[in-house]
Amino acid sequence: MDARAESQAVSRLRFLARVFFFWGAVLLARLIDLQIIEHEELARMALDQQQNDSRILGPRGAILDRNGQYLARSLPVESVCLDPRKVHNLGMAADLLARVLSLDSDTLLRRLVAAAEGGRGFLWVKRRISPEEAQALRAYKLDWVEFRTETKRYYPKGSLGAPLIGSVDYEEKGNGGVELGWDKELRGKAGVARTTADVRGGVIDRRVFSEPEPGKDLTLTIDERVQFAADRALRNAVRENHCRTGSLVVMDPRTGDILAMSSVVAGAPVFDPNKPPERGEPAQMARLNLAVSAPFEPGSVFKVITVSAALETTNLTPETIIPCGNGRITLFRRVIHDHDPYSLLSVADVLAKSSNIGAIQIGLRVGNERLYDYIKRFGFGRKTGVLPGESPGIVRPTSRWIPSSIGSIAMGHEVTVTTLQLAQACSAIANGGVLVRPRVVLKRQRPGFPREAQAPLEAPGRAVRPETAIQMRQMMERVVLAGTGKKALLEGYTSGGKTGSAQIYDFAARVYTHKYNASFMGFAPVNNPAVVVVVTLNGASKYGGAVAAPVFHEVAAAALRFLDVPKDLPDRELPETDEKPASDLAIAEISAGAPREEEEAPATLNAPAAAAALLEARGSAPTEAGPLLIPATYNGPKVPNFQGKTKRLVIEESAALGLLVEFRGDGIARVQEPPPGMVLRPGERVRIQFAR
Amino acid sequence: MIGGRSIRDLDWPLLLIVLAISSVGVLQIYSATLGTPWSDAWWKQIVWIGAGLLLLWIVTVIDYHTLLGNAYVYYGLSLVGLAAVLIAGVKVFGSRRWIPVGGGFKFQVSEFVKLVIILLVARYLADLRRDELEWRDVAKLGALVGLPVALVMKQPDLGTALTYLPILGVGILLAGLRLKYLLVLALAAGLVLPSGWFLLRDYQRARLTTFLDPARDPKGSGYQVIQSKIAVGSGGIWGRGVTKGYQTQLQFLPVPHTDFIFSSFAEEHGFVGVVVVLGLYFLLLMQIVQNAQTAPDRAGMYICMGVCALLLFHVLVNVGMVVGRMPVTGIPLPLMSAGGSHILSVFLMLGLVNNVRLRRFVN
Repeated sequence: MDARAESQAVSRLRFLARVFFFWGAVLLARLIDLQIIEHEELARMALDQQQNDSRILGPRGAILDRNGQYLARSLPVESVCLDPRKVHNLGMAADLLARVLSLDSDTLLRRLVAAAEGGRGFLWVKRRISPEEAQALRAYKLDWVEFRTETKRYYPKGSLGAPLIGSVDYEEKGNGGVELGWDKELRGKAGVARTTADVRGGVIDRRVFSEPEPGKDLTLTIDERVQFAADRALRNAVRENHCRTGSLVVMDPRTGDILAMSSVVAGAPVFDPNKPPERGEPAQMARLNLAVSAPFEPGSVFKVITVSAALETTNLTPETIIPCGNGRITLFRRVIHDHDPYSLLSVADVLAKSSNIGAIQIGLRVGNERLYDYIKRFGFGRKTGVLPGESPGIVRPTSRWIPSSIGSIAMGHEVTVTTLQLAQACSAIANGGVLVRPRVVLKRQRPGFPREAQAPLEAPGRAVRPETAIQMRQMMERVVLAGTGKKALLEGYTSGGKTGSAQIYDFAARVYTHKYNASFMGFAPVNNPAVVVVVTLNGASKYGGAVAAPVFHEVAAAALRFLDVPKDLPDRELPETDEKPASDLAIAEISAGAPREEEEAPATLNAPAAAAALLEARGSAPTEAGPLLIPATYNGPKVPNFQGKTKRLVIEESAALGLLVEFRGDGIARVQEPPPGMVLRPGERVRIQFAR
Repeated sequence: MIGGRSIRDLDWPLLLIVLAISSVGVLQIYSATLGTPWSDAWWKQIVWIGAGLLLLWIVTVIDYHTLLGNAYVYYGLSLVGLAAVLIAGVKVFGSRRWIPVGGGFKFQVSEFVKLVIILLVARYLADLRRDELEWRDVAKLGALVGLPVALVMKQPDLGTALTYLPILGVGILLAGLRLKYLLVLALAAGLVLPSGWFLLRDYQRARLTTFLDPARDPKGSGYQVIQSKIAVGSGGIWGRGVTKGYQTQLQFLPVPHTDFIFSSFAEEHGFVGVVVVLGLYFLLLMQIVQNAQTAPDRAGMYICMGVCALLLFHVLVNVGMVVGRMPVTGIPLPLMSAGGSHILSVFLMLGLVNNVRLRRFVN
């Protein structure tokens, strides 16, 4: 090997070395790039695929009725899962699990094999198993079976009030009714868990970062007993009268508390939120809360609004005579017939007999703008905001009325309303003119935390003046006593209301059919109503007074009984009232067509026994209007002068008169309110301050 | 005493470096296979290293001139062996690379053919006794090396087949290739390589395209490269610690104890660990180059430089693959990747280097 070749070899070697050094330098640069410059980015990518933050749901709050009965609650249950890769014999596992958990073994085996072949490290075998199943499976002590605690929503009352309460989906998320509307509160705050999983999804590590907070318990305004009675009465009525649907609202007119809300669809399966949702339109229909979601033309019940507006904005009084054209009126070239020919009727009788032409005449006196104003004042045409899925109904502004609209709207056509809106409007009449907003939730409370302050009732608007409300109540009582709503008469209680039967418009055929929206809205007792009940039966072939009023009768009677509302009429069976019942007498007089019957009607209250019962009934109720509002004809006992008398004497004297007295202090009566000689409104009491 | 030479004449620095790299390898195999079905791979590796040392000793004892004398015999046996693999080999992941030898062991012929190629190239070039290569010589040697390359590619095992080429390349470069020839060869390679595309199998093409653009199919063939880059990058400067590299431990990284062991090492030991290991490889190669310089004859020099070229090629391609600068070819990292045939063949090569060193003082 000579020197030249040697040096040539060395130089070539050097060249080769440089090439490799360059190559090495490229790789080193790349390593610096990856491990130092891009480190954070790549480390984040690593964490992204290795770790997974998941939400842990806190236990969902319970839903209770106003008396603390559980309507919905979540209880812990166990679910079974496994890692298919850890199961040695899939066939044996499928057979065993299928037997213990009553699953189909072939289906389970297919799922197991698919998961194992897909290399997945996690499979739910069965979720939310029964305690017996869990116990049986535990007994096998299988190390490849894992139990996870989940919660299951139970509805202890089944289908009771189900469209109102709603239900939850598989992830315990509300999908209807209260469950949907208050989902955020019920669900609480989810916690976060960080799971580290290997490439096949097998969990290596699980750390909880924040514990979930339980959801709030909701106490509803619903009274489970009233709801039960309402559901049953409505279901029976829909079935017996071959109606398509029915909806019903029971409301406390003083607070807007909804005591019951029912919705029935004929032919649909009963909606039980405990069962998984059924497919098909009837089952979906059964989930609907028709009382808030299905607006309809109200018909004659709407005359209450027309007449209220007339009392406030025109010089009409309940006694004013309205010409009813012998059952025929021509309005803007439209000829309208009444169901019965009347020549002359008082305003009160227009309501009692539900004269359409009378209502139109009154509506014309009120005028478009003022009628529209009162419709809005009573809360129609906008959502009450009480529940999700609510319809506002349709109330067109006057600019979109045609000339004859005033006539239609006066008798409840060309507008649509929901049953709940009617209950809201009726409550305004019942409580002295105040439009209270309906509410479903009484209070919310996180378990283990102090009760949260009850949301104050919203500052209510006023629909009508108190005296108008009282006049309306009296007229509506006459509807029951002497008009179309006789089937709404209650035993032991006075009641008022209005019937309605609106022909259903067939949009396809563009004609009004001979099926009705038969409705009844009413309240009881008349002088300080404790409940408002509104019933709507869709697709009835009879009038509201015939089919809806009996439902009112049944539900109102049940509600008054459950709420312990003292009776304001003597029981007919009681010996001290074996004289002819006052209410019957009044009806007879009214039926005779006495012109001043609306003044006679409250005369039934003159009977001392009735007065005593009435006073007892109102004992605890707050007074709502001053003495000015007492009709002059009201004939209660006058308040004697108690001043200077001993307590014992006051008790004796007031008991003899049937007066309710509130005592303050001890000794001799010094100050009394109201002063001697005043007539007490029913339910009002005498306050006496004693001093020595 | 070996044939009159002292045991202290052995290349002790080289052996120390080799043992250091091997130990790092065992540790990383242990960490990477923890909790997997291959968790016994680390002590198997120790056994292989022990066997490797034994073979190294044996190869050192036999004078390499004797080995060179039998080079063509070994070459003939290699061709037979490779043909046997194609006929009777065990098919794993779609390619026949192993011959079962009983007891559950498999023998990867192509790994040992590397040694034969080294000896063959050294023998052929040493016999030429010319300062510059003629076309005829290049063509002959190219054909001799090309035959086993073709046979290995047929398995198919592109990676191993390619490792034979640097031996040839370094050999002819050292033997004196005219610049004109070099340019012609480079031109020819430039023309042949693109047409070679059509000879590649689908998965090989996919590896090449995903090397150019790994994000094209991140769940499929680009998956390994992306996961490897993430692993290397999340190691950072100091690494995540032994058994704490989640890319490795959670099995996001494919084969973290064999082809991708460098990736898993980089994740757990960071840039610092990587520089240390690459430094060890650098020292190892420098030691081999030094042995080449002190070789008693050209054949010895060719042997050492062949070994050096082969190991360097392995390191650069493997690390390049791990960091996404080279296509995925399945070439193991010498001394670190788990695998019996691979460890034994590397130790045999190092035995050859030692053999040359031991005889550096020409009598």
